[in-house]
Amino acid sequence: MTTHSESVVERPSAGLDSAQKISRNLLLARRSLLPFLLVVELIVFTLSSNSFLTVGNFLNIASDATEVALIGAGMTLVILMGGIDISTGYAMGVIAWLVAYLNGVQTNPVLILVAAVAVGALVGLINGQLVAIFKIPSIVATLGMSAILQTVLFTLWDKTDIFSGPILEGLSRQSKFFGIPTLVLITVALYLVLYWVTQKTVFGRSMFAIGSNREAATLAGIRTNIVRIAAFVIVGVTVALAAVTYVGRVGVVQASTGGSITLLAIAAVVVGGTSILGGEGSVLRTLGGVAFIMILQNGVVLAGVPPLWNGLMIGVVILLAVLLDGIISRLNSDQQGSLA
Amino acid sequence: MMRLMGDRRIALGILIAIAIVAMGMISPYFLEAGNLLSLMQYSSVVGLLAIGQSLVILGGGGGIDLSVGSMLSLSSITFGLLAVDAGWSPWLAALGAIVAGALLGLFNGVLINVFNMPPLIVTLGTLYLYGSLALVLANGLDINGFDRDGFSILGQSTIFGIPTQVIFVLIPSYAAVAWVMSRTRFGREVYETGSNAIAARISGVNVKWTRIKLYAISGVFSAMGAVVTASWLLNAKSTAGVGQELQAITIAVLGGIVITGGVGRVSGTLLALVLVAVLNSGMALAGVGSTYQIGLLGVVLIVSVLVRHKSAIPSSVP
Repeated sequence: MTTHSESVVERPSAGLDSAQKISRNLLLARRSLLPFLLVVELIVFTLSSNSFLTVGNFLNIASDATEVALIGAGMTLVILMGGIDISTGYAMGVIAWLVAYLNGVQTNPVLILVAAVAVGALVGLINGQLVAIFKIPSIVATLGMSAILQTVLFTLWDKTDIFSGPILEGLSRQSKFFGIPTLVLITVALYLVLYWVTQKTVFGRSMFAIGSNREAATLAGIRTNIVRIAAFVIVGVTVALAAVTYVGRVGVVQASTGGSITLLAIAAVVVGGTSILGGEGSVLRTLGGVAFIMILQNGVVLAGVPPLWNGLMIGVVILLAVLLDGIISRLNSDQQGSLA
Repeated sequence: MMRLMGDRRIALGILIAIAIVAMGMISPYFLEAGNLLSLMQYSSVVGLLAIGQSLVILGGGGGIDLSVGSMLSLSSITFGLLAVDAGWSPWLAALGAIVAGALLGLFNGVLINVFNMPPLIVTLGTLYLYGSLALVLANGLDINGFDRDGFSILGQSTIFGIPTQVIFVLIPSYAAVAWVMSRTRFGREVYETGSNAIAARISGVNVKWTRIKLYAISGVFSAMGAVVTASWLLNAKSTAGVGQELQAITIAVLGGIVITGGVGRVSGTLLALVLVAVLNSGMALAGVGSTYQIGLLGVVLIVSVLVRHKSAIPSSVP
């Protein structure tokens, strides 16, 4: 009925050494793909536009990246375990609407923040339950959730764009702390926290174990369902934070708010080097992926290339990154996993 | 397993009957010929995408095709460029678009099966790639001016009150695929591959090649969707397929195609298509906006998988 292990590549043991060498070189290529692309990007855009390589522009890029970066961080955890969350974009839209609305009726900022995080966590909890308890493949569950949230946002929006200032002074695009935009500081703080969680805690190790081999993780006594649900809840919380910064940064919520962010966040995770098959990756790599994508979007505009080309470049880089993953895993004769 | 499949299709049939009666009561206009006609015109494009999606999922190995919408867009632009810029007859250009679709699907299939890349991410990548290529090729504009050689017949005429694209494209497509899947060696190989790839390989099935063909077929159906859209609206849009992948996946899963592969029938997909079309149309008549239909689709998707879970087949879904 279901298939777990499918391609067991058989190889004569004589060729093992050279194959290992090739595999190691490819792994090196995979690791250096992103830094290489970033350098190419910087050189090309610096040559093609005078206004690209300036402190001001880079602070712009970093601010613009806030939502993709925050959601990408949470998304990394789910992908680490071989899952995916398609619903993040419209979840952010719905929460952003809520934040803007509550701010419009003069609610206490702390209450707004609590409400946003609560809604985000609730969406994550439902997603996590559907995936872990009801065994619905994460792509199906979150695709359905995404459609529902899109409708919820449309209903709330009700043909009226809702404008709002930041809920706190520090969350606007302009506000800085010792010369660094506060939005950037928030992003960095979240990445440090999630890096610590994934690398230094039992919970983090459990996630890697589940991503590598869920059955083995269960047998080793890890409560896989709770860990998986928790990861979806964490995504929900990062989505809520993104919604709060979005309102502060952009100041208006529309029916389409958030719609395009999910795929960008997934792209950032994959380009960053976290394996979609689970068990391998890190939030810091995702930060590299976010940098690549956001610099691309900014540089392309400054260089005067029509933004129509953006998707093409993102698509090519996703495929290139995963192509190297595929070849490496094949040479390592890993089992091909089917994505949950 | 077969009995359960029967159940799923019977359940869909009952739901369709209930929906038609309910919609007829909400709006008397629902049962009028004109409305039923436009209902089927709208659904034939997504119906074509859902066939390809069903086949790719049936092939197993995490099979899914997120790029169907973008393949539709890019085939649509290919069609427009051939028919207008190159001056081909629209019918010949349609053939060209279908070849293009097959190549796009083939590219997906080769990346996934030759290079062992996960279908979800490959087709996410090509969703960007093909969608953006369509925009670049068309420079972001629509292409018009191919209303020649009676091309609009396909999308705008009816035969005995039934839209031509339903009679000549949608129904033959479902019939052909249903026949291939149940009566031919290829169909049996797809089910074997989807339910147990190792067993299939041991029994002599070329698993990778079988799956590659499924992705190419999905490309062909996407391109057919593009041709039907072009003939119906008489313009080729570079954003023609945006967002259609969700509907195609939903309809396939609702129709009983199990997401892990190997279980399901395209006749179920067809029934799910009819159900979704009836619901959409009824809601539109009741004055409910199209975005609510998307939400309803989401609910239906999750509930249909939940129900399947409750009726308890695979306890080992990954």
